[in-house]
Amino acid sequence: MTRLNTVMSLSLIFILTSASLTQSGDSPIGIFGYFQNSFQHWTTFEDRKEQNSFSVQQLNLFFQKDLSRDWTAFINFEFLNSFSSIRQWGAANLEEAWVKYRANEKFNLKLGLQIPIFNNLNEIKNRTPLLPYIVRPLVYETSFSEFIIIEEFVPDRAFLQVYGFLPKGETKCDYAFYLGNSSNMNDNREKGQTGIDTTTTFLAGGRLGFRYRELKLGLSATHEKKNGIRTLDFISLADSLGREPSELMGLPKTRLGVDMSYKFTNFIFESEFVTVNIDEGIPELELDLDFYYATLGYHLTEQLFAYGSYWVVDVHSALLATGDEKVEDEAIQTLNIGASYDLNDRIRFKGQFARVKADEELHLLSHDDVIKEEDKFSVYAVAVSVFF
Amino acid sequence: MKSVIVALFCFLVNATIVLSQVAVISHKSVPEDSMTKSVLLDLYTGDIQSWSNGEPVIVIDLKPRGDVKTAFYDFIGKKSSRIKSIWLKKKLSGEWDTPESLETEDDVVKKVASTAGAIGFVSQSSVTTDVKVLLLIQQGKN
Repeated sequence: MTRLNTVMSLSLIFILTSASLTQSGDSPIGIFGYFQNSFQHWTTFEDRKEQNSFSVQQLNLFFQKDLSRDWTAFINFEFLNSFSSIRQWGAANLEEAWVKYRANEKFNLKLGLQIPIFNNLNEIKNRTPLLPYIVRPLVYETSFSEFIIIEEFVPDRAFLQVYGFLPKGETKCDYAFYLGNSSNMNDNREKGQTGIDTTTTFLAGGRLGFRYRELKLGLSATHEKKNGIRTLDFISLADSLGREPSELMGLPKTRLGVDMSYKFTNFIFESEFVTVNIDEGIPELELDLDFYYATLGYHLTEQLFAYGSYWVVDVHSALLATGDEKVEDEAIQTLNIGASYDLNDRIRFKGQFARVKADEELHLLSHDDVIKEEDKFSVYAVAVSVFF
Repeated sequence: MKSVIVALFCFLVNATIVLSQVAVISHKSVPEDSMTKSVLLDLYTGDIQSWSNGEPVIVIDLKPRGDVKTAFYDFIGKKSSRIKSIWLKKKLSGEWDTPESLETEDDVVKKVASTAGAIGFVSQSSVTTDVKVLLLIQQGKN
Protein backbone atom coordinates (compact mmCIF):
# COMPACT_ATOMS: atom_id res chain seq x y z
CA MET A 1 0.00 0.00 0.00
CA THR A 2 2.83 2.34 0.98
CA ARG A 3 4.61 1.44 -2.23
CA LEU A 4 1.47 2.17 -4.23
CA ASN A 5 1.08 5.55 -2.51
CA THR A 6 4.72 6.39 -3.24
CA VAL A 7 4.32 5.48 -6.91
CA MET A 8 1.12 7.49 -7.16
CA SER A 9 2.70 10.48 -5.41
CA LEU A 10 5.74 10.36 -7.70
CA SER A 11 3.50 10.01 -10.73
CA LEU A 12 1.46 13.00 -9.63
CA ILE A 13 4.61 15.07 -9.04
CA PHE A 14 5.91 14.02 -12.46
CA ILE A 15 2.67 14.97 -14.18
CA LEU A 16 2.44 18.33 -12.41
CA THR A 17 6.11 19.11 -13.07
CA SER A 18 5.77 18.17 -16.72
CA ALA A 19 2.68 20.33 -17.02
CA SER A 20 4.34 23.33 -15.39
CA LEU A 21 7.48 22.95 -17.51
CA THR A 22 5.35 22.77 -20.64
CA GLN A 23 3.44 25.82 -19.49
CA SER A 24 6.59 27.83 -18.83
CA GLY A 25 7.92 27.11 -22.32
CA ASP A 26 4.63 27.88 -24.02
CA SER A 27 3.47 31.11 -25.51
CA PRO A 28 1.16 32.97 -23.13
CA ILE A 29 -2.61 32.77 -23.41
CA GLY A 30 -3.95 35.88 -25.10
CA ILE A 31 -7.08 37.21 -23.41
CA PHE A 32 -8.95 39.95 -25.20
CA GLY A 33 -12.43 40.91 -26.25
CA TYR A 34 -14.87 43.72 -26.80
CA PHE A 35 -18.25 45.00 -25.73
CA GLN A 36 -20.86 47.33 -27.09
CA ASN A 37 -23.10 49.40 -24.85
CA SER A 38 -26.04 51.04 -26.53
CA PHE A 39 -29.03 53.23 -25.93
CA GLN A 40 -31.96 52.57 -28.19
CA HIS A 41 -35.22 54.41 -28.59
CA TRP A 42 -37.95 52.49 -30.42
CA THR A 43 -41.13 54.22 -31.47
CA THR A 44 -44.43 52.38 -31.01
CA PHE A 45 -45.22 49.43 -33.22
CA GLU A 46 -47.92 46.77 -33.16
CA ASP A 47 -48.97 46.49 -29.52
CA ARG A 48 -45.64 47.58 -28.14
CA LYS A 49 -45.26 50.91 -26.44
CA GLU A 50 -42.44 53.33 -27.04
CA GLN A 51 -39.20 51.94 -25.65
CA ASN A 52 -36.12 53.59 -24.23
CA SER A 53 -33.43 51.24 -23.14
CA PHE A 54 -29.79 51.13 -22.20
CA SER A 55 -28.10 47.77 -22.55
CA VAL A 56 -24.85 45.90 -22.86
CA GLN A 57 -25.83 44.79 -26.32
CA GLN A 58 -22.96 42.37 -26.59
CA LEU A 59 -19.81 41.32 -24.80
CA ASN A 60 -17.37 38.81 -26.22
CA LEU A 61 -14.41 37.34 -24.41
CA PHE A 62 -11.67 35.55 -26.33
CA PHE A 63 -8.91 33.21 -25.22
CA GLN A 64 -6.22 32.43 -27.75
CA LYS A 65 -3.09 30.36 -27.50
CA ASP A 66 -0.46 29.39 -30.03
CA LEU A 67 0.10 25.70 -29.34
CA SER A 68 3.00 25.50 -31.76
CA ARG A 69 4.18 27.34 -34.87
CA ASP A 70 1.30 25.92 -36.93
CA TRP A 71 -1.44 25.24 -34.37
CA THR A 72 -3.63 27.82 -32.61
CA ALA A 73 -6.49 27.32 -30.15
CA PHE A 74 -9.29 29.88 -29.85
CA ILE A 75 -12.31 30.19 -27.58
CA ASN A 76 -15.06 32.80 -27.84
CA PHE A 77 -17.68 33.37 -25.13
CA GLU A 78 -20.55 35.66 -26.01
CA PHE A 79 -22.98 37.45 -23.67
CA LEU A 80 -25.99 39.19 -25.17
CA ASN A 81 -28.49 41.83 -24.06
CA SER A 82 -27.18 42.64 -20.56
CA PHE A 83 -26.91 38.97 -19.70
CA SER A 84 -27.96 38.16 -16.17
CA SER A 85 -28.89 34.68 -15.02
CA ILE A 86 -30.50 36.10 -11.86
CA ARG A 87 -32.82 38.35 -13.85
CA GLN A 88 -33.13 35.86 -16.69
CA TRP A 89 -32.01 38.49 -19.19
CA GLY A 90 -30.17 37.94 -22.41
CA ALA A 91 -28.14 34.91 -23.34
CA ALA A 92 -24.69 33.46 -22.83
CA ASN A 93 -23.20 31.31 -25.57
CA LEU A 94 -20.08 29.39 -26.26
CA GLU A 95 -19.73 30.77 -29.76
CA GLU A 96 -16.43 29.25 -30.81
CA ALA A 97 -13.96 26.67 -29.54
CA TRP A 98 -11.59 25.57 -32.25
CA VAL A 99 -8.06 24.59 -33.02
CA LYS A 100 -6.49 25.69 -36.29
CA TYR A 101 -3.70 24.26 -38.35
CA ARG A 102 -2.13 26.72 -40.77
CA ALA A 103 0.14 25.19 -43.39
CA ASN A 104 0.35 28.43 -45.36
CA GLU A 105 -2.03 30.95 -46.89
CA LYS A 106 -3.29 28.29 -49.30
CA PHE A 107 -4.38 25.78 -46.68
CA ASN A 108 -5.88 26.21 -43.23
CA LEU A 109 -7.78 23.59 -41.30
CA LYS A 110 -10.09 24.59 -38.46
CA LEU A 111 -11.48 21.89 -36.18
CA GLY A 112 -14.16 22.50 -33.56
CA LEU A 113 -17.09 24.81 -33.01
CA GLN A 114 -16.79 27.80 -35.32
CA ILE A 115 -18.73 30.37 -37.33
CA PRO A 116 -18.40 29.33 -40.98
CA ILE A 117 -17.52 31.63 -43.84
CA PHE A 118 -20.66 32.61 -45.73
CA ASN A 119 -20.87 35.78 -47.80
CA ASN A 120 -19.12 38.82 -46.44
CA LEU A 121 -20.51 39.36 -42.97
CA ASN A 122 -21.36 36.00 -41.43
CA GLU A 123 -17.96 35.27 -39.96
CA ILE A 124 -17.63 38.74 -38.42
CA LYS A 125 -21.30 39.44 -37.71
CA ASN A 126 -20.72 39.52 -33.95
CA ARG A 127 -17.46 41.51 -34.09
CA THR A 128 -19.08 44.83 -33.22
CA PRO A 129 -15.86 46.91 -33.22
CA LEU A 130 -15.44 46.08 -36.90
CA LEU A 131 -18.91 47.20 -37.92
CA PRO A 132 -20.29 50.74 -38.14
CA TYR A 133 -23.81 49.48 -37.29
CA ILE A 134 -25.53 49.31 -33.92
CA VAL A 135 -28.46 47.33 -35.27
CA ARG A 136 -26.80 45.08 -37.85
CA PRO A 137 -28.30 43.94 -41.14
CA LEU A 138 -31.23 41.93 -39.78
CA VAL A 139 -30.18 38.35 -40.43
CA TYR A 140 -26.87 39.11 -38.73
CA GLU A 141 -28.36 40.82 -35.69
CA THR A 142 -27.58 38.29 -32.97
CA SER A 143 -29.28 40.33 -30.28
CA PHE A 144 -32.53 40.12 -32.30
CA SER A 145 -32.42 36.34 -32.53
CA GLU A 146 -35.62 36.14 -30.51
CA PHE A 147 -37.47 37.88 -33.37
CA ILE A 148 -35.60 36.71 -36.46
CA ILE A 149 -34.42 33.16 -36.83
CA ILE A 150 -30.91 33.97 -37.94
CA GLU A 151 -29.79 30.41 -38.56
CA GLU A 152 -32.55 29.97 -41.14
CA PHE A 153 -30.84 32.55 -43.34
CA VAL A 154 -27.16 32.07 -42.66
CA PRO A 155 -25.24 29.08 -41.29
CA ASP A 156 -24.65 29.56 -37.61
CA ARG A 157 -22.15 26.86 -36.79
CA ALA A 158 -19.72 24.47 -38.37
CA PHE A 159 -17.26 21.99 -36.89
CA LEU A 160 -14.73 21.40 -39.63
CA GLN A 161 -13.52 23.89 -42.20
CA VAL A 162 -10.73 24.12 -44.74
CA TYR A 163 -10.03 27.52 -46.25
CA GLY A 164 -7.37 29.70 -47.77
CA PHE A 165 -6.57 31.58 -50.91
CA LEU A 166 -4.57 31.05 -54.06
CA PRO A 167 -2.59 34.17 -54.95
CA LYS A 168 -1.60 35.35 -58.38
CA GLY A 169 -0.04 38.79 -58.17
CA GLU A 170 -2.66 41.13 -56.80
CA THR A 171 -5.48 38.70 -57.57
CA LYS A 172 -6.56 36.17 -54.98
CA CYS A 173 -9.00 33.32 -55.23
CA ASP A 174 -10.53 32.52 -51.85
CA TYR A 175 -12.08 29.21 -50.98
CA ALA A 176 -13.75 27.69 -47.92
CA PHE A 177 -15.49 24.36 -47.42
CA TYR A 178 -17.08 23.23 -44.20
CA LEU A 179 -19.18 20.63 -42.44
CA GLY A 180 -21.42 20.96 -39.44
CA ASN A 181 -24.71 19.94 -37.99
CA SER A 182 -27.99 20.85 -39.59
CA SER A 183 -29.47 23.94 -38.00
CA ASN A 184 -32.24 22.12 -36.16
CA MET A 185 -30.42 21.56 -32.90
CA ASN A 186 -32.73 22.26 -29.94
CA ASP A 187 -35.50 23.50 -32.19
CA ASN A 188 -38.14 23.09 -29.59
CA ARG A 189 -37.17 25.47 -26.85
CA GLU A 190 -40.15 24.46 -24.70
CA LYS A 191 -38.79 20.95 -24.35
CA GLY A 192 -35.61 22.02 -22.63
CA GLN A 193 -32.10 22.77 -23.72
CA THR A 194 -30.08 19.67 -23.05
CA GLY A 195 -27.30 20.65 -25.41
CA ILE A 196 -27.39 17.20 -26.89
CA ASP A 197 -27.76 17.32 -30.62
CA THR A 198 -30.03 14.66 -31.99
CA THR A 199 -29.34 15.71 -35.56
CA THR A 200 -28.62 12.87 -37.89
CA THR A 201 -27.84 15.04 -40.90
CA PHE A 202 -24.98 17.32 -41.84
CA LEU A 203 -24.63 20.85 -43.01
CA ALA A 204 -22.18 21.14 -45.91
CA GLY A 205 -21.23 24.46 -47.38
CA GLY A 206 -18.60 26.75 -48.71
CA ARG A 207 -17.63 29.97 -50.41
CA LEU A 208 -15.65 30.73 -53.50
CA GLY A 209 -14.37 34.26 -53.76
CA PHE A 210 -12.27 36.58 -55.83
CA ARG A 211 -10.24 39.56 -54.65
CA TYR A 212 -8.48 42.17 -56.69
CA ARG A 213 -7.13 45.15 -54.79
CA GLU A 214 -10.24 46.59 -53.07
CA LEU A 215 -12.79 44.60 -55.05
CA LYS A 216 -14.14 41.48 -53.38
CA LEU A 217 -16.71 39.10 -54.84
CA GLY A 218 -18.03 35.82 -53.52
CA LEU A 219 -20.50 33.04 -54.07
CA SER A 220 -21.62 30.98 -51.07
CA ALA A 221 -23.82 27.94 -50.70
CA THR A 222 -24.91 25.48 -48.04
CA HIS A 223 -26.97 22.34 -48.11
CA GLU A 224 -28.54 20.49 -45.22
CA LYS A 225 -31.57 18.47 -44.25
CA LYS A 226 -33.93 19.91 -41.73
CA ASN A 227 -35.88 17.82 -39.28
CA GLY A 228 -38.69 20.33 -39.22
CA ILE A 229 -39.67 23.83 -40.23
CA ARG A 230 -39.25 26.13 -37.31
CA THR A 231 -40.96 29.06 -38.98
CA LEU A 232 -44.22 27.10 -39.02
CA ASP A 233 -45.97 25.04 -36.41
CA PHE A 234 -44.57 21.66 -37.31
CA ILE A 235 -47.29 19.36 -35.98
CA SER A 236 -50.24 21.45 -37.14
CA LEU A 237 -48.52 21.83 -40.49
CA ALA A 238 -48.32 18.07 -40.93
CA ASP A 239 -51.94 17.84 -39.76
CA SER A 240 -53.07 20.49 -42.26
CA LEU A 241 -51.33 18.66 -45.05
CA GLY A 242 -52.92 15.38 -44.02
CA ARG A 243 -49.47 13.85 -43.69
CA GLU A 244 -47.49 12.15 -41.01
CA PRO A 245 -44.96 14.40 -39.24
CA SER A 246 -42.25 11.98 -40.30
CA GLU A 247 -42.88 12.95 -43.93
CA LEU A 248 -41.64 16.44 -43.10
CA MET A 249 -38.40 15.12 -41.65
CA GLY A 250 -35.17 15.54 -43.54
CA LEU A 251 -36.35 18.25 -45.89
CA PRO A 252 -33.49 19.40 -48.11
CA LYS A 253 -32.66 23.03 -47.49
CA THR A 254 -30.34 25.10 -49.67
CA ARG A 255 -28.92 28.55 -49.05
CA LEU A 256 -27.31 30.54 -51.82
CA GLY A 257 -25.44 33.76 -51.21
CA VAL A 258 -23.73 36.40 -53.29
CA ASP A 259 -21.54 39.12 -51.82
CA MET A 260 -19.70 42.06 -53.24
CA SER A 261 -17.69 44.85 -51.71
CA TYR A 262 -15.65 47.62 -53.23
CA LYS A 263 -13.63 50.43 -51.80
CA PHE A 264 -12.88 53.42 -53.98
CA THR A 265 -11.01 56.40 -52.58
CA ASN A 266 -13.08 57.27 -49.49
CA PHE A 267 -16.18 55.39 -50.61
CA ILE A 268 -17.14 51.90 -49.49
CA PHE A 269 -19.89 49.83 -51.06
CA GLU A 270 -20.98 46.49 -49.62
CA SER A 271 -23.82 44.28 -50.67
CA GLU A 272 -25.14 40.77 -50.06
CA PHE A 273 -27.98 38.62 -51.21
CA VAL A 274 -29.14 35.40 -49.55
CA THR A 275 -31.89 33.14 -50.80
CA VAL A 276 -33.07 30.08 -48.89
CA ASN A 277 -35.13 27.37 -50.41
CA ILE A 278 -36.61 24.40 -48.63
CA ASP A 279 -37.27 21.81 -51.27
CA GLU A 280 -39.96 20.00 -49.39
CA GLY A 281 -40.96 17.82 -52.32
CA ILE A 282 -44.51 18.36 -51.18
CA PRO A 283 -46.48 20.26 -53.82
CA GLU A 284 -48.88 21.70 -51.25
CA LEU A 285 -46.12 23.43 -49.32
CA GLU A 286 -43.83 26.33 -50.27
CA LEU A 287 -41.31 28.06 -48.06
CA ASP A 288 -38.74 30.53 -49.34
CA LEU A 289 -36.68 33.16 -47.57
CA ASP A 290 -34.73 36.04 -49.11
CA PHE A 291 -32.47 38.70 -47.66
CA TYR A 292 -30.69 41.59 -49.29
CA TYR A 293 -28.62 44.44 -47.98
CA ALA A 294 -26.56 47.20 -49.50
CA THR A 295 -24.46 49.81 -47.73
CA LEU A 296 -22.81 52.86 -49.19
CA GLY A 297 -20.37 54.57 -46.87
CA TYR A 298 -17.95 57.46 -46.99
CA HIS A 299 -14.91 58.21 -44.85
CA LEU A 300 -15.26 61.92 -44.10
CA THR A 301 -11.96 61.69 -42.25
CA GLU A 302 -9.83 58.72 -41.22
CA GLN A 303 -11.83 58.56 -37.98
CA LEU A 304 -15.30 59.60 -39.11
CA PHE A 305 -17.39 57.31 -41.30
CA ALA A 306 -20.95 57.95 -42.50
CA TYR A 307 -23.21 55.51 -44.30
CA GLY A 308 -26.63 54.75 -45.68
CA SER A 309 -27.87 51.19 -45.74
CA TYR A 310 -30.96 49.38 -47.02
CA TRP A 311 -32.08 45.91 -45.92
CA VAL A 312 -34.94 43.69 -47.04
CA VAL A 313 -36.11 40.43 -45.51
CA ASP A 314 -38.75 38.47 -47.44
CA VAL A 315 -40.52 35.39 -46.14
CA HIS A 316 -42.86 33.55 -48.46
CA SER A 317 -44.85 30.55 -47.33
CA ALA A 318 -47.76 28.79 -48.94
CA LEU A 319 -49.94 26.02 -47.64
CA LEU A 320 -52.01 24.63 -50.47
CA ALA A 321 -53.77 21.76 -48.69
CA THR A 322 -57.35 21.23 -49.71
CA GLY A 323 -59.71 23.34 -47.65
CA ASP A 324 -56.98 25.38 -46.04
CA GLU A 325 -55.16 27.08 -48.90
CA LYS A 326 -53.24 30.14 -47.84
CA VAL A 327 -50.30 32.13 -49.06
CA GLU A 328 -48.40 34.34 -46.65
CA ASP A 329 -45.84 36.97 -47.60
CA GLU A 330 -43.95 39.00 -45.08
CA ALA A 331 -41.49 41.76 -45.95
CA ILE A 332 -39.39 43.82 -43.57
CA GLN A 333 -37.67 46.78 -45.19
CA THR A 334 -35.23 48.88 -43.24
CA LEU A 335 -33.65 52.13 -44.29
CA ASN A 336 -30.69 53.22 -42.20
CA ILE A 337 -28.40 56.16 -41.88
CA GLY A 338 -25.56 56.22 -39.43
CA ALA A 339 -22.08 57.27 -38.55
CA SER A 340 -19.18 56.00 -36.53
CA TYR A 341 -16.24 57.81 -35.02
CA ASP A 342 -13.01 56.12 -33.96
CA LEU A 343 -11.76 57.96 -30.92
CA ASN A 344 -8.66 55.78 -31.04
CA ASP A 345 -7.75 52.22 -32.04
CA ARG A 346 -9.91 50.77 -29.28
CA ILE A 347 -12.94 52.99 -28.82
CA ARG A 348 -15.57 53.56 -31.48
CA PHE A 349 -18.69 55.71 -31.06
CA LYS A 350 -21.70 54.97 -33.23
CA GLY A 351 -25.03 56.54 -34.09
CA GLN A 352 -27.80 55.05 -36.20
CA PHE A 353 -31.31 55.82 -37.32
CA ALA A 354 -33.39 53.01 -38.77
CA ARG A 355 -36.82 53.30 -40.33
CA VAL A 356 -38.49 49.91 -40.38
CA LYS A 357 -41.50 49.00 -42.51
CA ALA A 358 -43.08 45.60 -41.94
CA ASP A 359 -45.71 44.39 -44.39
CA GLU A 360 -47.65 41.21 -44.02
CA GLU A 361 -50.12 39.83 -46.51
CA LEU A 362 -52.17 36.71 -45.89
CA HIS A 363 -54.10 35.41 -48.85
CA LEU A 364 -56.78 32.91 -47.84
CA LEU A 365 -57.39 31.26 -51.18
CA SER A 366 -60.28 29.13 -50.03
CA HIS A 367 -62.18 32.22 -48.85
CA ASP A 368 -60.81 34.49 -51.57
CA ASP A 369 -59.85 36.88 -48.83
CA VAL A 370 -56.73 38.99 -48.39
CA ILE A 371 -55.65 40.29 -45.01
CA LYS A 372 -53.03 43.01 -45.07
CA GLU A 373 -51.10 44.47 -42.20
CA GLU A 374 -48.60 47.26 -42.36
CA ASP A 375 -46.53 48.64 -39.56
CA LYS A 376 -43.84 51.28 -39.39
CA PHE A 377 -41.54 52.24 -36.63
CA SER A 378 -38.20 53.90 -36.07
CA VAL A 379 -35.13 53.08 -34.05
CA TYR A 380 -32.75 55.75 -32.82
CA ALA A 381 -29.59 54.35 -31.35
CA VAL A 382 -26.23 55.46 -30.01
CA ALA A 383 -23.49 53.14 -28.85
CA VAL A 384 -19.91 52.80 -27.81
CA SER A 385 -17.91 49.79 -28.89
CA VAL A 386 -14.76 49.03 -26.96
CA PHE A 387 -11.98 46.60 -27.85
CA PHE A 388 -9.78 45.51 -24.95
CA MET B 1 16.70 88.86 -54.50
CA LYS B 2 14.96 87.85 -51.29
CA SER B 3 12.22 86.01 -53.18
CA VAL B 4 14.84 84.18 -55.26
CA ILE B 5 16.55 82.96 -52.07
CA VAL B 6 13.20 81.84 -50.61
CA ALA B 7 12.32 80.02 -53.84
CA LEU B 8 15.74 78.35 -53.91
CA PHE B 9 15.35 77.30 -50.28
CA CYS B 10 11.90 75.83 -50.98
CA PHE B 11 13.27 73.97 -53.99
CA LEU B 12 16.12 72.48 -51.96
CA VAL B 13 13.79 71.41 -49.12
CA ASN B 14 11.42 69.87 -51.63
CA ALA B 15 14.27 68.12 -53.42
CA THR B 16 15.51 66.70 -50.13
CA ILE B 17 12.05 65.27 -49.37
CA VAL B 18 11.69 63.78 -52.84
CA LEU B 19 15.14 62.19 -52.70
CA SER B 20 14.78 60.72 -49.20
CA GLN B 21 13.83 57.09 -49.20
CA VAL B 22 12.01 54.64 -46.97
CA ALA B 23 13.79 51.35 -46.45
CA VAL B 24 11.91 48.11 -45.91
CA ILE B 25 14.19 46.13 -43.61
CA SER B 26 14.22 42.61 -42.29
CA HIS B 27 16.12 40.38 -39.91
CA LYS B 28 19.18 38.86 -41.55
CA SER B 29 17.74 35.35 -41.22
CA VAL B 30 14.96 36.19 -43.69
CA PRO B 31 15.70 34.22 -46.87
CA GLU B 32 14.23 36.82 -49.26
CA ASP B 33 16.63 39.42 -50.65
CA SER B 34 14.09 41.64 -52.36
CA MET B 35 10.42 42.42 -52.12
CA THR B 36 7.57 43.37 -54.45
CA LYS B 37 4.77 45.75 -53.60
CA SER B 38 2.09 43.06 -53.66
CA VAL B 39 4.06 40.73 -51.36
CA LEU B 40 4.73 43.64 -49.01
CA LEU B 41 1.00 44.35 -48.90
CA ASP B 42 0.25 40.68 -48.18
CA LEU B 43 2.78 40.69 -45.35
CA TYR B 44 1.37 43.84 -43.78
CA THR B 45 -2.23 42.63 -44.06
CA GLY B 46 -1.39 39.21 -42.61
CA ASP B 47 -2.42 37.36 -45.76
CA ILE B 48 1.09 35.89 -45.86
CA GLN B 49 2.34 34.90 -42.42
CA SER B 50 5.50 32.93 -43.12
CA TRP B 51 8.68 33.38 -45.14
CA SER B 52 9.67 30.96 -47.89
CA ASN B 53 11.66 28.90 -45.34
CA GLY B 54 8.59 28.54 -43.11
CA GLU B 55 9.76 30.99 -40.48
CA PRO B 56 6.89 33.13 -39.10
CA VAL B 57 6.77 36.74 -40.27
CA ILE B 58 6.91 39.25 -37.42
CA VAL B 59 5.56 42.56 -38.68
CA ILE B 60 6.75 45.73 -36.95
CA ASP B 61 4.94 49.03 -37.40
CA LEU B 62 6.09 52.58 -36.75
CA LYS B 63 3.73 54.26 -34.31
CA PRO B 64 3.99 58.01 -34.91
CA ARG B 65 2.44 59.40 -38.06
CA GLY B 66 4.97 61.13 -40.22
CA ASP B 67 6.48 61.26 -43.69
CA VAL B 68 8.05 57.80 -43.42
CA LYS B 69 4.85 56.09 -42.32
CA THR B 70 2.75 57.98 -44.86
CA ALA B 71 5.17 57.12 -47.67
CA PHE B 72 5.16 53.45 -46.71
CA TYR B 73 1.38 53.08 -46.57
CA ASP B 74 0.93 55.18 -49.72
CA PHE B 75 3.32 52.77 -51.44
CA ILE B 76 1.37 49.66 -50.47
CA GLY B 77 -1.86 51.45 -51.37
CA LYS B 78 -3.63 51.39 -48.01
CA LYS B 79 -4.37 54.12 -45.54
CA SER B 80 -3.04 53.52 -42.07
CA SER B 81 -6.63 53.46 -40.70
CA ARG B 82 -7.63 50.82 -43.25
CA ILE B 83 -4.64 48.67 -42.31
CA LYS B 84 -5.60 48.94 -38.65
CA SER B 85 -9.12 47.82 -39.45
CA ILE B 86 -7.72 44.80 -41.32
CA TRP B 87 -5.46 44.01 -38.34
CA LEU B 88 -8.38 44.23 -35.94
CA LYS B 89 -10.48 41.96 -38.13
CA LYS B 90 -7.71 39.34 -38.21
CA LYS B 91 -7.11 39.66 -34.48
CA LEU B 92 -10.79 39.23 -33.61
CA SER B 93 -11.07 36.27 -35.98
CA GLY B 94 -8.13 34.55 -34.31
CA GLU B 95 -6.22 34.69 -37.58
CA TRP B 96 -3.33 36.95 -36.68
CA ASP B 97 -1.79 38.95 -33.87
CA THR B 98 -1.79 42.70 -34.24
CA PRO B 99 1.73 43.88 -35.16
CA GLU B 100 3.80 45.65 -32.56
CA SER B 101 4.03 49.42 -33.07
CA LEU B 102 7.25 51.11 -31.93
CA GLU B 103 7.80 54.77 -31.13
CA THR B 104 11.05 55.52 -32.98
CA GLU B 105 12.89 54.36 -36.08
CA ASP B 106 15.85 53.33 -33.93
CA ASP B 107 13.52 51.07 -31.92
CA VAL B 108 12.27 49.51 -35.17
CA VAL B 109 15.81 48.85 -36.40
CA LYS B 110 16.84 47.31 -33.06
CA LYS B 111 13.70 45.16 -32.88
CA VAL B 112 14.05 43.92 -36.47
CA ALA B 113 17.76 43.20 -35.93
CA SER B 114 17.06 41.15 -32.81
CA THR B 115 13.90 39.27 -33.89
CA ALA B 116 14.12 36.35 -36.29
CA GLY B 117 11.63 36.73 -39.14
CA ALA B 118 10.96 40.41 -38.41
CA ILE B 119 10.19 43.03 -41.04
CA GLY B 120 9.80 46.79 -40.62
CA PHE B 121 10.24 50.11 -42.34
CA VAL B 122 12.34 53.17 -41.51
CA SER B 123 13.94 56.07 -43.34
CA GLN B 124 17.05 55.05 -45.25
CA SER B 125 19.25 57.16 -43.01
CA SER B 126 18.26 55.06 -39.97
CA VAL B 127 19.34 51.74 -41.49
CA THR B 128 22.30 49.99 -39.86
CA THR B 129 24.37 47.01 -40.93
CA ASP B 130 22.49 44.83 -38.43
CA VAL B 131 19.51 44.49 -40.76
CA LYS B 132 18.88 43.55 -44.36
CA VAL B 133 17.33 46.05 -46.78
CA LEU B 134 14.66 44.38 -48.93
CA LEU B 135 13.29 47.41 -50.75
CA LEU B 136 13.78 51.15 -51.07
CA ILE B 137 10.70 53.29 -51.51
CA GLN B 138 11.10 56.79 -52.82
CA GLN B 139 8.85 59.12 -50.88
CA GLY B 140 6.06 60.65 -52.88
CA LYS B 141 6.09 57.82 -55.43
CA ASN B 142 4.16 54.60 -55.57
